[in-house]
Amino acid sequence: MKSIMKKEASIAVIIIILSIVLSFINPVFLTIDNILDILKGNVVLGILAMGMTLVIITGGIDVSVAAVTTAVCVVIGKLLVMVPDHIGALFLLLVIACLLGIILGGINGFLVSKIEIPAIVVTLGTMSMINGIVLYVTNGQYLNSTDFPKVFLKFSNIKILGVSILIWLFFLIAILTWFLLKHTVMGREILAIGGNKESALRVGINFNKVQIFVFAYMGFLAGIAAIAQISYTKAVDPNGLSGLELSVIAAVVLGGTNIMGGRGTVIGTILGVLLLGIIQNGLILARIDIFWQKVVVGLIILLAVSYDHIQYKRAQAQLSRIEIDS
Amino acid sequence: MKIALSKENILGLIALALFVVMTIIAPGFLSAENINNMMFQLPEFGLLALGMMVVIITGGIDLSITYTAALSGVSIAMMQSHGYPMMISILVGILIGLACGFMNGFIVTRIGVSPILVTLGTMILFEGVILSITKGNSISGFSDWYNLIGNGYYLGLIPLSMIIFIFFAVVTSVLLGKTYWGRCVYMIGSNSVASLFSGINTSRVILKVYLYASFLAAISAIIMTSRYNTAKVDLGSSYLLQSVAAAVLGGTEIQGGYGKVVGTVYAVMIFQILSNGLNLLEVPRTIVNVIMGAILIAVLVINFAKTKLGNKDRMQVTS
Repeated sequence: MKSIMKKEASIAVIIIILSIVLSFINPVFLTIDNILDILKGNVVLGILAMGMTLVIITGGIDVSVAAVTTAVCVVIGKLLVMVPDHIGALFLLLVIACLLGIILGGINGFLVSKIEIPAIVVTLGTMSMINGIVLYVTNGQYLNSTDFPKVFLKFSNIKILGVSILIWLFFLIAILTWFLLKHTVMGREILAIGGNKESALRVGINFNKVQIFVFAYMGFLAGIAAIAQISYTKAVDPNGLSGLELSVIAAVVLGGTNIMGGRGTVIGTILGVLLLGIIQNGLILARIDIFWQKVVVGLIILLAVSYDHIQYKRAQAQLSRIEIDS
Repeated sequence: MKIALSKENILGLIALALFVVMTIIAPGFLSAENINNMMFQLPEFGLLALGMMVVIITGGIDLSITYTAALSGVSIAMMQSHGYPMMISILVGILIGLACGFMNGFIVTRIGVSPILVTLGTMILFEGVILSITKGNSISGFSDWYNLIGNGYYLGLIPLSMIIFIFFAVVTSVLLGKTYWGRCVYMIGSNSVASLFSGINTSRVILKVYLYASFLAAISAIIMTSRYNTAKVDLGSSYLLQSVAAAVLGGTEIQGGYGKVVGTVYAVMIFQILSNGLNLLEVPRTIVNVIMGAILIAVLVINFAKTKLGNKDRMQVTS
């Protein structure tokens, strides 16, 4: 238990050090506006990372998230042009987005659990299929917000207590995921399976059910992320999210979730998302040449995971030393 | 009879069947020009898939493989356009590729971070390095001799790059099947703890695996740059997920422990025949991706059904 909290603490320390350095380099960094911008810009990443945390905790992985989100974006974009300018239509779209996401995620879950194909292979396959269909249907064309109903544009500009509704949406999802993981039977089963699949099965946990649930939940969040993405960019870009799946995985793993499964927390993932967001924002504020930004991001990811793992190994070594002493 | 049912042979049959089907339905598929085209396109992808396969056999994955290739390709292009002789620039390119592989292998083995994370990080890192070297531009200016590697023929018949690919496929097959290192690779893939306790220096073996994968990536980069006559940051980047797919389609266990060169070669051929044939049939590029994904999943479903049936048979025999 302690080691889990330590993991989050070490990421928090990295974030704090980085923030101090950045605010010395450019005082703009620590303004409320800038911090809200960072949060708003990473809402989609954050929502997807929540679902990915659950998937990775069960020992799976989902590289089709960006494709699923894009697919939902495209469908919702097509519908947005058609629906009447009414609040009810907006609600209906949200429901459609979630259902579509759940179906696509459920297909992944079915293939992973019932057909027993490794998750990375299934999602690679569905990713290439979904991406192909999306590009075929849209021809790669960009959809602009000019035809969107006004009520949708109004929705995306709502601010509560000066904070954009998208950020509230992210916190809502985070709390939901936290509750799910901490206080429901399903959440405990997810952690149990990731921790030790054999013993979880012996205890009587329905492995297939949990896996399908996890992937469907991932799809559900992809549906919500699609709505957030359209509201944020006010456009539908079939290529806009390519490569996001790797950022999502990076954020989750930076947040202390074990890629082999069994360990991971919502707080950690939020910190991981923040870390990625701060790095990206800070590099721009520090006026680092655009071409060098990726080098820095790559180095920070490598340093963070290495530091984290060395810390973990040291803790393990100490643990075994105590055992020998006693 | 038993041999005919192995994973690899089924794939071989599928490849053959696809070839026949394409010959019948796609106009001009069997023309000398088209066969040539396929032979020129296959080696670069095949080499990357082989590299990926070796890493996957140990239970790892190398997401940085295409950027390793791009980095060594770009450095070869830089050297040549600055007037260095061909052999030296190729040598430097391969060394840079090996350095990338060493970095992956070092972090995976000495620090112990999981491969998918390490290579995710190095993938972004290498991409950044290439971007900051090239500023996003493409580099050209190769010597005529260099262009021969990707475009030339041996004896006026077989593409030179194809011979390079066959050579490395055989080398990989021998290394995996006949050497101490190869046996260790399989053992680590099926149980790394047990192999460590049985006296295998696992970290050295895995380090060599990443070095070998990056070496193949560098060779693939040479063929790619020579064939396209340019090098830039996205050199071969579309092959990344395809190479994982090819390795898995070829029967390699994604958790490690099993995988054969023949299977991967067949899978690469299937991909090549499909994408070429569908192109000739004027199927849109995007739909080709859909079909590739569908085939990947379909083959695995068939595999699953086959093992299920096999298990049932075995259970009947024992009872």
